[in-house]
Amino acid sequence: MKTKILLTFIVVLLFWRFPAASQEWLVPGNQLNVENPLPYNLENVQKGKDLYQQNCKSCHGDPGKNNHLPLAPPPPDIVSEQMQANTDGGLFYKITSGRGGMPQFETTISEDDRWRIINFIRNYNADYEQLLIDAPPVNAKLLASVNEADKKVEVLAEYEDKAGNFLQLENTPVFISAKKAFGNQLLGQALTDENGRAVYSIPETLIGDEQGLVSIVVTLGENYLAEQVVLEKAKVGKIKDVPKLIRKEVLWSTNENVQLWLLLSYIGAAGAAWIAIGYVVFQLIKIKKSGKE
Amino acid sequence: MNTIKSPEESRKILNTICSDLTRSITRKDELTRFWFFILIMFAGVGLWGWIIQIDKGLGVTGMRDYVSWGMYIANFVFFVAVSLIGFLISSALHLLKISWSKPISRVAEQIAIAAVALAGIIIVMDMGRPDRFLNVFLHGRFASPIIWDVTVVTTYLTISVLLFYIPLIPDLALLRDRMEGKIPNWKLQLYKILSLGWKGNQKQYKLVYHAMRVLMILIIPVGLSIHTVTSWLFAATLRAGWDTTIMGPYFVAGAFVAGAAAVVIVMYVYRLRYGLKNYFEDLHFDYMGKLLVFVSLVYLYFNINEFLVPGYKMKTAEGIHLSNLFTGTYASMFWLVQVAGLILPILLMLVRYFRKPLPLTIISVFVLISSWFKRYLIVIPTLEHPFLPVQNVPDYFKHYSPTSIEVMITLFSFFAALLIISVLSKFFPVISIWEYAEEKGVDKKYFSEQPKK
Repeated sequence: MKTKILLTFIVVLLFWRFPAASQEWLVPGNQLNVENPLPYNLENVQKGKDLYQQNCKSCHGDPGKNNHLPLAPPPPDIVSEQMQANTDGGLFYKITSGRGGMPQFETTISEDDRWRIINFIRNYNADYEQLLIDAPPVNAKLLASVNEADKKVEVLAEYEDKAGNFLQLENTPVFISAKKAFGNQLLGQALTDENGRAVYSIPETLIGDEQGLVSIVVTLGENYLAEQVVLEKAKVGKIKDVPKLIRKEVLWSTNENVQLWLLLSYIGAAGAAWIAIGYVVFQLIKIKKSGKE
Repeated sequence: MNTIKSPEESRKILNTICSDLTRSITRKDELTRFWFFILIMFAGVGLWGWIIQIDKGLGVTGMRDYVSWGMYIANFVFFVAVSLIGFLISSALHLLKISWSKPISRVAEQIAIAAVALAGIIIVMDMGRPDRFLNVFLHGRFASPIIWDVTVVTTYLTISVLLFYIPLIPDLALLRDRMEGKIPNWKLQLYKILSLGWKGNQKQYKLVYHAMRVLMILIIPVGLSIHTVTSWLFAATLRAGWDTTIMGPYFVAGAFVAGAAAVVIVMYVYRLRYGLKNYFEDLHFDYMGKLLVFVSLVYLYFNINEFLVPGYKMKTAEGIHLSNLFTGTYASMFWLVQVAGLILPILLMLVRYFRKPLPLTIISVFVLISSWFKRYLIVIPTLEHPFLPVQNVPDYFKHYSPTSIEVMITLFSFFAALLIISVLSKFFPVISIWEYAEEKGVDKKYFSEQPKK
């Protein structure tokens, strides 16, 4: 929570210098009436949703929840009147070129994908048929195992019906990811068959650790409440090539790579000095002894 | 060496020397107490600063991402430099059979011990987590100059202590035999233990001479390494201003300048305070002045090499660094150090008048202060111009100025060094009695005689 507040504060500070942004955002006339070339269907809306989650949600927030970042000017909620009053061409222009705190996406999101985001925004427009329905998530269970020989992940998925019985989950995507140092890397998805089973073939190109081990994470989509299955350290990846970054010849190296002559010189010089010191201390003992004679 | 004197004369000379040179030990007056009070108080204030630093972390210093070696490291280099005089005077000049330096060698060793001990302490004070100090030894990299430096500083400290102690043994026996009733009993007991049952027989003298000779030869490579390796801490990097091959000899030469100045100051204080006019004679100051001129000239020569050659080329990074020193932020400090700490002293000390005790001491004070600031100029300006600049950092990250905590801890090091020197002078004669008496023609056999009550 603290970091979130701090982050917000920093972002607010960063955009403080754009007071001009609070003025009306005008769209050039020729852009205003450009039509969406992509059909408004479930596939495009679904893809638009994924793109929205990745690129837009961090500022604009969840649809209809008004939890956008407190910036000036505020990034409107996509359900809001302010957002929906834009024409398709106007939305496309604003996403493409950006202004002030709103970045341009001309170089980072393809043209088709920008239109898909607009399709997703229209999902919340009263004039459009609502294709994505936010139903409450269903309890589900996942079982998974790895076939290391065939490099396959085998999954069994079940969901809980209203009576509390667990039934096979049919024709539903299961997502397979690899656990990486900073979060999970999505590898792909597999559809369950009529028995609730899905098989996913791990790509040959997947790179594991130094021994080729990968931890596989299996999840269900967001409409299901299921604990993810983590298959720890399966031997399904390629062996990671770890190049030695320090050449053997350099002097400033780690103890494993230390040059033998350098180590010997150091030990030799320090050792010789301390042996001589020891010899002098021995003379002191002799002085003490000869005082008793 | 003077001709051998008659028994009566020998005893008389020895008694005079003894009473003169033990004055520092027996004297107890208000001024001494006040001096120790001041030293302990300021050292205590500095230690308090260190406690704050340990409690709050290194954030209380002015050191940030750019300048990560601040005043502490500059101070460390200064103390290592000062300590090097022990090796020059009590070893190099001895081995060259230069006899005038003999009475000075114990002063030089006192300074060496105090300075190198403080150098070690300052490094610990520069650590954000001093409790992890042992990791330096447990996980040190043998290929790192830092490990070499740690090794050589400890070795040099040990040798310096031995080189201070071994010529002291016959003196300790003299004190043990003659000081009964004049000093507290525990001090007498201390002398008794430390003198190792010295009887003054032929064999013992032979052993002392032999041990001294071994140490004097040993301290030459170790002494040269201590400051050369310290210079490698800088020279082994690619940074402008540090990336030069002259760094080793440049540091060593500069060290002799700082150390010789320190010796002159301490000599003068002893002469004045303990009435040792006949021991630290005008002649000694004259020679020390000449020595200081000589080492300063060598240092000037290295300075010209260090600044003229890169200044002629003004390569990009080097150019930024040099113009910062010559005409930029650090110009006033740089020119003050070079003129008041090097050029002016050389010119003045060429004149005989300025090699007299008081003028020479005043010059030495300037030289010593300048050499501290010189170390500051070596360490900090280079760090303010990194090769990989950080973006969007607060402005105070880019400039360094020491905080009051840093000043407190640095002051601690000065007062602690003075404290060590003062304590040594309160415990042990500041000139070797037996060597001095022998020089005056007193035979060794009189040393072990008990004086008539």
